[in-house]
Amino acid sequence: MRSGTRPPRAAGRVRVSLTVNGARRSLDVDPRTTLLEILRERLALTGAKPGCDRGECGACTVLVNGRPIYSCVTLAAIWSGARVTTIEGLGRGGRLHPMQRAFIEADAVQCGFCTPGQVLSAVALLDRHPRPNASQIAEAMSGNLCRCGTYPKIVRAIQRVARRRKRK
Amino acid sequence: MTAREGHGPPRFVVTTVEVEGREEETVVEIPAFEPVPWSPRARHDLVGKPVHRVDGEAKVTGGAIYTADVQLPQMLHARLLRAPIARGNASGLDVSAARAIPGVHAVITGRDIPNISWLHGAPLLGTRVLYPGQPVAAVAAETLGAADAAIRAIVVRWSSRAHTVGVTTTDRKGRSPGAPAHPVTQRQQRGNVRRAIERAPVVVTQTYRVAPVVHQALEPHGTVAWWQGDRLTVYESTQGIFRVRRQLADYLGLATSQIRVISGYMGGGFGAKNGCGSHTLLAALLSRKTRRPIRLVLDRSEECLDTGHRPEMVMTVSVATGRDGLLRALDFEAWVALGADGWIGSPGQLLHRLYDCPNVRTVETFYYTNSGPMSAFRAPYYVEAAFALESAMDLAARRLKMDPVEFRALNLARSDQERNRPFSTNELPACLADVRRRIGWGDGDRGHPAQGRVRRGWGVAVQIWGAAGGPPAYAEVRVNRDGTALVVTGTQDLGTGTRTILAQIAAEVLGLALEDVRVVLGDTDAGPYAGNSWGSMTTASVGPAVRMAAEDARRQLCEVAAALLGVSADRLTMRRGRIRVGGGRKSVTIERVTEHLGNIMVVGRGHRGPNPQSVTVISVGAQAAEVEVDLDTGVVRVVRVVAAHGCGRAINPELAESQLHGGIIQGLGYALFERRVQDPDAGSVLNAGLHDYKIPTFADVPAIDARVISAGDPMANHIGVKGLAEPPIIPTAPAIANALFNALGRQPTELPLTPARILALVKKGRKFRR
Repeated sequence: MRSGTRPPRAAGRVRVSLTVNGARRSLDVDPRTTLLEILRERLALTGAKPGCDRGECGACTVLVNGRPIYSCVTLAAIWSGARVTTIEGLGRGGRLHPMQRAFIEADAVQCGFCTPGQVLSAVALLDRHPRPNASQIAEAMSGNLCRCGTYPKIVRAIQRVARRRKRK
Repeated sequence: MTAREGHGPPRFVVTTVEVEGREEETVVEIPAFEPVPWSPRARHDLVGKPVHRVDGEAKVTGGAIYTADVQLPQMLHARLLRAPIARGNASGLDVSAARAIPGVHAVITGRDIPNISWLHGAPLLGTRVLYPGQPVAAVAAETLGAADAAIRAIVVRWSSRAHTVGVTTTDRKGRSPGAPAHPVTQRQQRGNVRRAIERAPVVVTQTYRVAPVVHQALEPHGTVAWWQGDRLTVYESTQGIFRVRRQLADYLGLATSQIRVISGYMGGGFGAKNGCGSHTLLAALLSRKTRRPIRLVLDRSEECLDTGHRPEMVMTVSVATGRDGLLRALDFEAWVALGADGWIGSPGQLLHRLYDCPNVRTVETFYYTNSGPMSAFRAPYYVEAAFALESAMDLAARRLKMDPVEFRALNLARSDQERNRPFSTNELPACLADVRRRIGWGDGDRGHPAQGRVRRGWGVAVQIWGAAGGPPAYAEVRVNRDGTALVVTGTQDLGTGTRTILAQIAAEVLGLALEDVRVVLGDTDAGPYAGNSWGSMTTASVGPAVRMAAEDARRQLCEVAAALLGVSADRLTMRRGRIRVGGGRKSVTIERVTEHLGNIMVVGRGHRGPNPQSVTVISVGAQAAEVEVDLDTGVVRVVRVVAAHGCGRAINPELAESQLHGGIIQGLGYALFERRVQDPDAGSVLNAGLHDYKIPTFADVPAIDARVISAGDPMANHIGVKGLAEPPIIPTAPAIANALFNALGRQPTELPLTPARILALVKKGRKFRR
């Protein structure tokens, strides 16, 4: 067995414009750059986590135009012009988003590494299904893995937010 | 009064500390004063209350900084070249093309680094390969992309040699080609097992197998290393900052004081992050070479290859009883496929401890194989042994025509039979009764209801775990001028909630609000020593040290307050931010006392005293599972898990429940899905990722009703706590397997319980109780 290949050719640069957490950002990047890499390494938004770097765990989840995506397997260039929300931009005016508050209240957090992705997927779920049933929650959230076992409490947190909205 | 009392008692004693089921002796300083133990049902303002995590907001906002988030000036990114073969050699290493890639600052092989004795004496980055994924070279570059390109550009010739994978009959005879070292066998016996089995009227014997499984913490292992002058700073995702520091010092020939290890937030460890890894050392070496900070974070496949696993095991258990159902003998033999290296624990300990039994023999053989090194994984060896023992207990119960709960209740250990001493407290009978009541065991038709091709079954299993914690562990409580407090200790929070629990303890003693106490941990330059967060030891080890430090600070504050109020200090109580005289009106705020002191600082110091030597401290639990199994597809669905655990005082019942959920859900993955597959012929790992290696997801989680039912254990330590983090994973898999036994009438003997295995069981056993 023999490995060893020539280095890849230097690629050109592309301009990517994104609205990240409400602020317009324009960057020159290698076209192979993922959205996760831009967020973490260029914009210092480290809330989205690299858990697997291949779209298996969901720790890198961010909202693009309101929908949850795995930013680790998303090329930034294809979303030029899009609106990106990361965990850092979820709260408004220094206040926590109701889902963030519910996660704290329900203790839906252990090590916290998957938490930003979980919170964003949960927010997107309630946008689609304001009153989700158990199987809708399970299906919508199954792309976000947690090894500490916070699942039952994340479900509680989601249900708590849904109930509070219903009352309003 | 003897002459000695006048000079005070001796300052140091030897005490026993149990780590992951193994006892170690340690010399410990006797505390200058030992706080009076909190009584078992003492009512507190904060301790025992389900307060929210103090770091919850940091974690839900992205404010919690993990190792991979650390960004330092001029930081470089590193990657490793890992062997694609299970055993053999790397030759003709040529790194010139890799070094020529723009942005690459360093490429190192074994030739470029000092000789560091790593695996069975072989050097780090050696060319002799003992397992797939073994690191052979390392690269540092301006970007990850350049580092990856450099790794691909390294020329190397791999030559494979015969390798050995897993536990096979060939291994048992000691013939295992390529094994990195000779097998190790451990034996332990009390009584005479052979004779007891010969004379027992009821004997069942069965062989069980469990697959190797991977920790899969969501945060991969990672290091950011920065060499400045002759000092090294290491950010590491670890369960033991002081252990990493000592290991780094040993490997690199440095003084421990030259090294600072920081683990602020870490994304789960489960035993895989107990020490310095090859990645830690290589990041440090690359930083020394480049004089730049290095970030080296493993990817998911590296996590699956070279960060540890729970080993594959084959276990044969014999259970011998009288006709009355009383245990007469337990005989256990285990064959463990350790990996290229690993920690030799003892699965047999579960059999020596869990049940009252006069004759117990355990024989354990550990084989070295060509897989990544094994490391402890949440209740290491107890989880594996519990599947075998608790399955065999159900087999015996069936032979005896006894109810599995009653059979267990009859035989639970009443004392520590190995050390011949009582337990401090033992909540296991109460746990078992509680689980039986809450799941409705015995009410109606257990196991019978069947709807067409779906069958339902119930199963139970119990657990024991040495959970005393122990010394050494130190803490400091500094009272700030504004009347708030800072707890400083060298422990770490893996996500279990250590920060919160320590804040609760200090705030309770000082009569402060929780938000007025901050906890600093995870930094060897800040905190006084605390041990690894392993063995479910942290709360029971560090908690008492923090209480003692807070009591020390409290005593000092009271002395000042006594002078201010013109009363004697022993009449004062501290609560809700005030120091009060007896129950009366006369009081002063803590802030007023600290303002009065000005910049004179109150610093309380505490440390963990010795463990009690006349009792054994255990943490126990019982779990019952209800499952549904589809006879056509073999798919198992766990419907419900009911759990009751005894761990002394739960400082925070909400966090304790989260620990129970975590253990149960990991145990469910172990029971149903998880298995690292290593091709026996090619030697490569076939499912090194989270797609082909399935951990439980939202869709797999059953209804879980889990609680801690115990009160404080005043004999264990003065805060009455025992370990909890590991125990709840122990009974889950056997409870599920026993529920399937109940549903199918045949016992599953191999984990994971894949549909193919279930269908094979269904095919074999058509005798359903109808």
